[in-house]
Amino acid sequence: MSANWFSAPAPVARRVRGYFAPVNRAAQTPVLFDASEQGGFSLDAPPAPWIDLGWIQGFTRKPGSKSSPVLAGIPAATLEQVRETLEAQVSFQFLSWTKLTMALATGSQHMNLLAPASGAAAAADGAQASSAVIPQSGSTASFIALAAADAAKFTAGSMVAIDVDYAGQTGFVGAPVAGAYVRQALTDVDYIRRVTFNVGLVAQVSSAGITLAEPLLGGTPQAGAKLQALIGFVDREGGSFYQEWSALFVMQGSQGERILFYYPRLQTAAGAEETAIPLDGKHADGQARVLLKGQFLALPVTDPLDGERVLCYRSFLPAPKALV
Amino acid sequence: MNYELRTKNYELRTNMQNAKDSFYIALRTRLVTINPERTILLRGTVRPGILVEEAEAPFTQLPNDVFVLRWLGLAVDMDLASTMAAAECEILYQTCGTQSFGGLDRGRLLSEMDEELMGMLKPFYAPKLNYATTPPAEMLTQVFWDEPGLGPVAVQRDRLSRSAKVMVYSYQEQGE
Repeated sequence: MSANWFSAPAPVARRVRGYFAPVNRAAQTPVLFDASEQGGFSLDAPPAPWIDLGWIQGFTRKPGSKSSPVLAGIPAATLEQVRETLEAQVSFQFLSWTKLTMALATGSQHMNLLAPASGAAAAADGAQASSAVIPQSGSTASFIALAAADAAKFTAGSMVAIDVDYAGQTGFVGAPVAGAYVRQALTDVDYIRRVTFNVGLVAQVSSAGITLAEPLLGGTPQAGAKLQALIGFVDREGGSFYQEWSALFVMQGSQGERILFYYPRLQTAAGAEETAIPLDGKHADGQARVLLKGQFLALPVTDPLDGERVLCYRSFLPAPKALV
Repeated sequence: MNYELRTKNYELRTNMQNAKDSFYIALRTRLVTINPERTILLRGTVRPGILVEEAEAPFTQLPNDVFVLRWLGLAVDMDLASTMAAAECEILYQTCGTQSFGGLDRGRLLSEMDEELMGMLKPFYAPKLNYATTPPAEMLTQVFWDEPGLGPVAVQRDRLSRSAKVMVYSYQEQGE
C-alpha cells in the first residue's frame, strides 16, 4: 500500500550541467530563461539559443553581496539591514576543451589560429592567413556550398571558420557572439574570422561543398561570409576584452527534481588557468587530465517584475508527488 | 551520514525489497536491449542472462556468461524526511570463452560483459515498483545508484571473472 505523496529529503545529484548563451553585447541584452516554461527541458536538447557545454566539475557559487546594519538607539542596535553591494561569483572546471569552453575559461578574447599563408611571417596569434573562399548560395548551418575548386582545398577532419571580412569597423565584432571589442580600426581583413565562434569540424567533402559535423553556432552563414581553414585556437593573458554570457546550470536530482541556476550576465573574472587531475590517484606524477578552470563574476540585471537588481535566479522544480 | 555498510544491532525499520527488485528488473530490461542474445536456461525457461543469487537455488558454481546479482550490506539514514536505505549489490560475471575459439576469446567476452554492465547501469536511476502485486504497482520514488567499483579480473584456469560493486539507494515510502 502506498500513499500518493512522499516527504522528499534534500536533493541528491551526481553532477552539474552547464549551458551558455551569448549576450548581445551591443544591445546589452542577456538571454532570458524562464524556469516555468523551459525548466523541464531535456538536458541533451536545451532550448535555443542555449548551448550545451556538457557536465562540469567543481561547481561553486560564492555570494559576495554585503549588507550593513542601520543602527538606532542608545546603545545602538540594528534596526534593519541595507544591501550595500551586489556581488556573486561562480567557478567550476570544464571537462572538455572546445572553442566555446576555452573562450569561456579565458579572461579575454579567444582567437582561431587560421591556417597560415605559404611563407607568411610568424606571429604569436597566427600568421597572415591563407586566402578565404566564398560560400555559394544554398549554404546552411551544417553545409557550406562551395565551388568544386574551393571544396577541393578542404579535407574531412579539417576545421574551418566562417564569417565576414573585417572592414575597419570599431566596437563589438562577431555575430551572434561578440568575439572581441575593437577600439581602433585594424588592418587584418581576417580579424573577424580570427575571433568568430562560427567554427566547425569538416565531416565530409564533396564537389558541391563541405558538410560540418555540427551546425554552426551562428546558423546559416550571413551574406558576405567567407570560409577559412583553421588549425587550432589561441588566447592571451591580458587584453581589455571581457567575455560575457548568459549561463544556466542544472542539477538533476535522483527523484526527478531539478535545481536551476540562471545567471543572466556572467563575465570572466580571471585569466586562463588550468587544473591537472591525475588519472590514477596512486600515481600522482603520471597521466593527468588538464581541465579548464572557469571563474566568473555575475553582473546585475533589473528584474522587470519589481525593478529589483539581481544577479542570479535559483529555481527548484520539486520531484513528482513530493510534498512542498 | 557515512554509508559505509555495517551490521546494525538495532531493528531495521526498512524494507529494501522493492528497491532490490526494481534495480534487478531495470538491469534485466536494459540487458535485453543491449544484448538480447545473452540468455540463460533456468528452471526450464530461457531468460535474460541476469539473475539474483538469493532468489535461485544455491549454485555450486556460478553460471558462465551470465550476470549474477548478490546483495551484501545494508545501511540506513533515519534522520531524513524519508528514511534512506542503501544496499550494496555485487554483480559477478565470468566466462571461459567459446568452444568454437577454444576459449581463446575469453578476454574479449569478458570485455563485452564489462561493456554490457556499464550500459545496464546507465542511467543511474529507475522507477521503484512493488513487484509483490500483479501487475506491479508503481511507487512514488525512484531507486538510484552510483558508479560501480570494478574489481580486478580473477583467473581460475580457463575462467576469467570479475565483480563490480554498486551502492543502491532508496527512500522508504509509506507502507514499505
